[in-house]
Amino acid sequence: MQWIIRFFVSHRNLTSLCATVVASFLMLSSNPGQQQNIARLLTYSVFYPFQFYFTQTTRIKNVFAENRSLKNEIAGLSVRVAQLSECGKENDRLTGMLSISQQYPYTLVPARVVVRDPSFVSRSAIINVGKDQGILPYMPVMTGRGAAGKIIQVMGRMSLVQLMLDPANRTSVMVQRSREIGILETDNGDDFFIMFRAHADVNVGDTIITSGLGGIYPRGLLAGQVKKLTENRDPIFKKAIISPEVNFDRLEEVFVIKLPPQWASFKQELDSLETISAKGTAQP
Amino acid sequence: MISDIIKWVIVFMGSLILQTSFVPIITVAGIKPDLLMVALFFFSIKYGVMPGIFVGFALGLGQDLYSPSLLGQNALTKTIAGAFIGLFNERMMRSDPFIKTALLFVAFLIHDALYFIIQIIKLGDPIATLFAGLFVKSLPRALYSIVFAVLFYIWELIPKPAIRK
Repeated sequence: MQWIIRFFVSHRNLTSLCATVVASFLMLSSNPGQQQNIARLLTYSVFYPFQFYFTQTTRIKNVFAENRSLKNEIAGLSVRVAQLSECGKENDRLTGMLSISQQYPYTLVPARVVVRDPSFVSRSAIINVGKDQGILPYMPVMTGRGAAGKIIQVMGRMSLVQLMLDPANRTSVMVQRSREIGILETDNGDDFFIMFRAHADVNVGDTIITSGLGGIYPRGLLAGQVKKLTENRDPIFKKAIISPEVNFDRLEEVFVIKLPPQWASFKQELDSLETISAKGTAQP
Repeated sequence: MISDIIKWVIVFMGSLILQTSFVPIITVAGIKPDLLMVALFFFSIKYGVMPGIFVGFALGLGQDLYSPSLLGQNALTKTIAGAFIGLFNERMMRSDPFIKTALLFVAFLIHDALYFIIQIIKLGDPIATLFAGLFVKSLPRALYSIVFAVLFYIWELIPKPAIRK
C-alpha cells in the first residue's frame, strides 16, 4: 500500500494529470442523460456557492437594468398622471360650464383662453372663437362665476377680450339688494371700486350684479361683493371697494354671451349724430 | 498562503464575471478574448504543473457547466493547457515577458486544437474544421487575448512605491 502512496507522491504531476484527464474522458464519453446528471450533481454540490455568487452578480446587473427601465416607466407614468389629472380638472370645469349654459336664458358660446396679455396697461385675453362662430364686437364674456369682460376685436377664429381688469373698462352695475346703480371701475387692475352717492343704501357684503343699462352686459350677471366702504374726500360720494367674483388669474374657459349690444340697432343713427357734431365743431 | 488563495479566487471569479459581462461588449467580428485562459496562464506559470492541472480542470468544468458545450470538453483542454504552461513555471526557469507571451500563444493553440479534435471525434465534424477553426478563430482569439496579457506585463513594469512592512 505504501509503495502506491509513494508512487503517487513522487509522480504527483503525472497522477494528477491522469486523474483529471480520465475524469474528463469519463464525462465526455458518458451519454447525454448521464452528462446531465453529472452536471446537476456538480452544480448543486461543488459549484453551488460559485453559482450563487454568479447569480447574485447577474441579478445585480439585472437590478441596474430594471432600475433604469423603472425610472423611465415612472417618468412616463408621471406625465400620464399629470395629463389625466389635467383631464379630470378640465372635465369638472366643463361639467360646471355645461350646467351654467343651462342656467342662463342666453345663447352661450364656450371658449378657451389661448393667450393672456401680461401687460399691466391693457388687461386682455385672446379666446379661440371668432367671426366663424358668430361672435361680434361688444358681446359680453362671462365665466361660471360672473361677468369677465367684453369682446373688442373679432377675427376669423379668435377674438380679443377686454377684461374687467382693464382700467379703460367701465361696467354699469347695481347693488342686488337695494338696486342702487353705479359704475364698476379700477385704476390699477387690482382694486375695483364703485362711487356711490353718500346716502346710497350700500352695505359691506352686498352682492353687485350687472345692471344691464350699459348696453353690453345683460342684467343680473354677478360682478362682485362689497368688501369695504370708505369715505371719499368729496362728501357727496362714498367709495365701495369691490372684490370681483371672477378670479382673473385662473381664467381658462369662458362663455361669450351671444347678445349684440343693445345700441347696435340704432348704431347708424349714433354714427351719423357723431359725424354731424364733428362737422359742427369743425366749422368756424 | 491564505491571502494567495483568496487573491487567486478573486482573480478567477473576476475573470469569469468579466468573461460573461464585459467581453461580449468588446467582441470584434465575433472574436472575443479568453480571460479565463489568460488567468490560468498567469496562475500556472507561477505555481507549476499540479496546481495548473487542478485549477485548469476546475475552470474548464465550470465553463462546461455554464456554456452549451460537451461536458468535459473544456475541462480536458484547460487541464492540458494548465499542465503545459505549468511545465515552464517560474520556479523551473526564468523567462522574459516575450517568451511568456509566445508560450501563452502556443498554449492557446494547444487548447483550441484539442477543443476542435474533441468536437471532431464526438460530434463528427469534418477534419477541415480543425484547420479552419485554428486559423479563423483561434489565431485571432489568441492574439486578442495576448493583448490583455501584455497589458498585465505593462502594469508590472510600472514602478510602484515601496511598501514598508
